[in-house]
Amino acid sequence: MKGCRNSGGGKRVQRRRWGGAGCCRVPGIHWAVLGGLVAALGVTLGLTLGVAGAWAHGPLFSAGPETIWKGGTEITVGLHDERARGHGHEERERETFLEIEYGITPDWEVSIELPYTWKSEDGFSSDGLGDVVIGTKYQFFVENLPGAQRKAAVFVNAKWPTADEKTMPPLGSGAWSVLGGLAVGYEGRRWYGFADVRYRHNGTGPQGLKKGDTLFLDVVGGVRPVLTEYDEPDTVLMLELNWERSARDQRAGVTLADTGGWQLFLSPVIWWTYRQVALKGGVQIPIASELNGDQPDADYRALFEAVYHF
Amino acid sequence: MMSLSKITRCKSRNRTGIVPAVVLAIVLGMLTVPAALAGQVYKLRVDGLACPFCAYGIEKKLKAVPGVASLKFQINKGLVVVTMKDGATLSRQQAQQIVRDAGFALRGFTRG
Repeated sequence: MKGCRNSGGGKRVQRRRWGGAGCCRVPGIHWAVLGGLVAALGVTLGLTLGVAGAWAHGPLFSAGPETIWKGGTEITVGLHDERARGHGHEERERETFLEIEYGITPDWEVSIELPYTWKSEDGFSSDGLGDVVIGTKYQFFVENLPGAQRKAAVFVNAKWPTADEKTMPPLGSGAWSVLGGLAVGYEGRRWYGFADVRYRHNGTGPQGLKKGDTLFLDVVGGVRPVLTEYDEPDTVLMLELNWERSARDQRAGVTLADTGGWQLFLSPVIWWTYRQVALKGGVQIPIASELNGDQPDADYRALFEAVYHF
Repeated sequence: MMSLSKITRCKSRNRTGIVPAVVLAIVLGMLTVPAALAGQVYKLRVDGLACPFCAYGIEKKLKAVPGVASLKFQINKGLVVVTMKDGATLSRQQAQQIVRDAGFALRGFTRG
């Protein structure tokens, strides 16, 4: 469950995520980066914002409706990397995490995620345990068709403020946050389609700081170029469109100017699987944004995950 | 009285007649015994099977059933072929529960 991963982070990272500058930006360099990544396909690093897929294929940066089978366990080891630059600031955050999911029923799963984070901001750096995330997902609708499934699920994740917020830069916000949402999807032999809406509510942290709540909307399409059989390696390509809008932060009830705003990302994703092993990765590339005040622009967000289920 | 050399030739001829028969019997035995030992085959038509990665849950659950000898998945046909050990059987109810717990739906169940 990655729904709350971005709710952690240092002051500036959070400002970038939850608020910011004023004008709409579509940096041309991002298109060059996108072209290179699509051509490379194997280069699959990224950052996650969503509730990633369990036993079946699902989106990487947004939420999918899939749940693991009854009694099934899935272990994920992931790496994410993100960078933001501009307005005289430079921030970078890297994280590795272990995630464990368990299927209580075929429709209901629970999960826990344990991250370790490295951060650097304007010459300062820190590292340590990140915010632990616990989550659950319930698939309330599933329609099984020959070679395809339609499904829908609701989910909720809670981020526990386990990261140290007193480091420089802070590794966490020191506040709880809860993310809930609805995801729908179609998974066929050839084509994939997903959509979701998520809302993250942030609690109030030390010194009365409350990060602005965030709304996420995502649309995803995917294709399996070659219809492989069970004992063959399988590849699926996806393209996600991720939109997020954050309210301004508040400190002791006072709204902070350089926070809040919206960003739109285009995110190519690749899945490679063989039996119960999956490697997946992708990059979120910002294509438009409108951040309030003085905030650095997202440069990229990348995620790579290795998954094993049994 | 036959000479010793004639007796030897005679025995040798008899041996050449017996050996092919024994070999034939062994070959036939090799062909027929496995067939007799091979268990019942079931074909499970499963709806919702969209990818190999997803199908692993069915494999895990079917392998846990006592008596299952081998499995063959044909994802493009939505088919799981289950071969049982000699004397073992798989009921439709068992198959339905397994497929359901793995997150799919059993549409067809045929034997043989």
